[in-house]
Amino acid sequence: MTDRREAWLFLVPGLALLVLGFVLPILRMLVLSVLGPDGLTLQQFARFFQDGYYPSILWRTVRMSLVITAITAAIGFPLAYITSRVGPRLRLWLIVMVILPLMTSVVVRTFGWMVLLGRSGPLATTLRDMGLVGRSFSLMHTEAAIVLGMVQVLLPFMVLSMLGVLSRLDPRLEEAARTMGCSFLQTIRRVVLPLAMPGVVAGSLLVFTLSASSFITPSLLGGARIEVLAGSIYKSVTQTLDWNFAAAQSVILFLGLALVLIPYLRLGARHG
Amino acid sequence: MQITTRSLFGSVAISLFAMPALADEITINSFGGAYEEAHRACVIDPFEAATGAKVNIVTAYSADAFAQLRAQKDAPQFDVIHFSGGQEIVGASEGLLLPITPEMVPNLADVYDFAKEGVAKGEGPAYQIAAVGLVYAADKMPEAPTKWADLLNPEYSDRLVLTDISNGYGMIGLLMLNQISGGTMDDIQPGLDAVSKLLEQGAIVVSKSPEIQQEFAQNDAWLAAYASDYAYTLQKAGLDVKFVQGEEGTPASFITASLVAGRDNVELASKFIDMELSPEAQACFSEALRYTPTNSKTVLADDVAASVVYGPDATAGLMRFDPIKIEANRSAWVEAWGKTIAR
Repeated sequence: MTDRREAWLFLVPGLALLVLGFVLPILRMLVLSVLGPDGLTLQQFARFFQDGYYPSILWRTVRMSLVITAITAAIGFPLAYITSRVGPRLRLWLIVMVILPLMTSVVVRTFGWMVLLGRSGPLATTLRDMGLVGRSFSLMHTEAAIVLGMVQVLLPFMVLSMLGVLSRLDPRLEEAARTMGCSFLQTIRRVVLPLAMPGVVAGSLLVFTLSASSFITPSLLGGARIEVLAGSIYKSVTQTLDWNFAAAQSVILFLGLALVLIPYLRLGARHG
Repeated sequence: MQITTRSLFGSVAISLFAMPALADEITINSFGGAYEEAHRACVIDPFEAATGAKVNIVTAYSADAFAQLRAQKDAPQFDVIHFSGGQEIVGASEGLLLPITPEMVPNLADVYDFAKEGVAKGEGPAYQIAAVGLVYAADKMPEAPTKWADLLNPEYSDRLVLTDISNGYGMIGLLMLNQISGGTMDDIQPGLDAVSKLLEQGAIVVSKSPEIQQEFAQNDAWLAAYASDYAYTLQKAGLDVKFVQGEEGTPASFITASLVAGRDNVELASKFIDMELSPEAQACFSEALRYTPTNSKTVLADDVAASVVYGPDATAGLMRFDPIKIEANRSAWVEAWGKTIAR
């Protein structure tokens, strides 16, 4: 009895925060999204799909989040793997290097990219000096800029998720694979990667949801002409003060994420 | 002081949901950057020195500030709220603002009539006016622009900076472009068509004013439709930039200060607005940022007077796009604009 009561006591702060900060707002959002001047309506959702504009924003959001997740995983896995296999001193330094960017604000890091990618940044200037591009060349205000910036912002989340799983793997499994004739890459593919799958899935989930819902980096690097859904929601809330439509867009983003996440969660469950 | 159950409950409720509000402090919004610096130097610091009160500043542009005001309807957090996009008209009609009177704000008597038209309804008076015209790089443009139609010249398109209509000046710029393209306040399609043509020809869109400086300083931009105060910001940054009023007219943005309804330190907040309307503060603002003063008793130094729209005759010539129409159409226009500029 006491154990159960203590368990509940431990749960209360977290649960209270979840209910107050997540469940209630989400319910309110759901209600707002179907509320019209004359009662319940699906008009806001119809508006979203009335022409290609908003669906194209949704598609861009999902597509870019997938690309960002894939690149982060591709860069993050080797980094996490090496970090888990080196000596303790070097590992500490590598981990510090991964975490360090998290100590500066996203806005500051994004401004760094704005300088690097702008028309008079080192990249554009060098290419222009080599005569490869014209006067107005700039990587700013492109999807590539957003992907670059987001990958840098989100890499630590991926690496840390993978590292947790990788550093618990028994190195003897790899040794066994190598003695049985696997090459290094085969060992990675057949032994390490499958065993690290829970970490890969967890990291990907984190990165995917964070990139689909972020709007600071996309709006700074993408500019006014490349819209993502989170930015569009922000605009509906703060500029046009159309909270019902903002709620509808949020619900669509929420459902869109859920659709992508369910197969992922299944994958995680299978490997977990 | 009489403590009733109701007020006790009220204060408990407020302290649960808000920072404890002391009587000798007020909360205002300002617009950040150089504007906020001038705001501090011309009004906030002298106000704090004169009253001993503390002023909390929340940096929020008009639209953000208005969204916050509306969201906080039941427990407002601002005492004085500043808008540049006519949001005070909507705010007043929704009962979010408190009308001020000449008794509360003595300086109101000296303010030009056009700057205090809606005061009785709760719309705060304009304490500054930003005139919108053509901002151009004087050292680079082959020929100085004189009229709004020059924006449409294809030779300038890939040196042209357009501003997103989330920005108040951007909205005014679009409406002016629309007007010279044959559109009206009920039909902005001609303006949007003009914009999409300009974009095809290489014009770029920015969303915040610092980006305009970046475009002029680093990216060799020549021309933008923007406000006189910002031309001065660019000059101070060392750029050879000039401001000229377009021949077709000078639309203006009214920067207003309104009292928020439902707050308990109205007296202190009124004093703050009174200070913003004082000739000294207005002269200080014009000196610092080149805004047009609205207090008829404001005296400007000659060099300042030369670079702003100044005096009863000149200010009477300013035009204002109907903020109610803008607010009524904002949602549809922002959406149409988004579709127009989307890649």
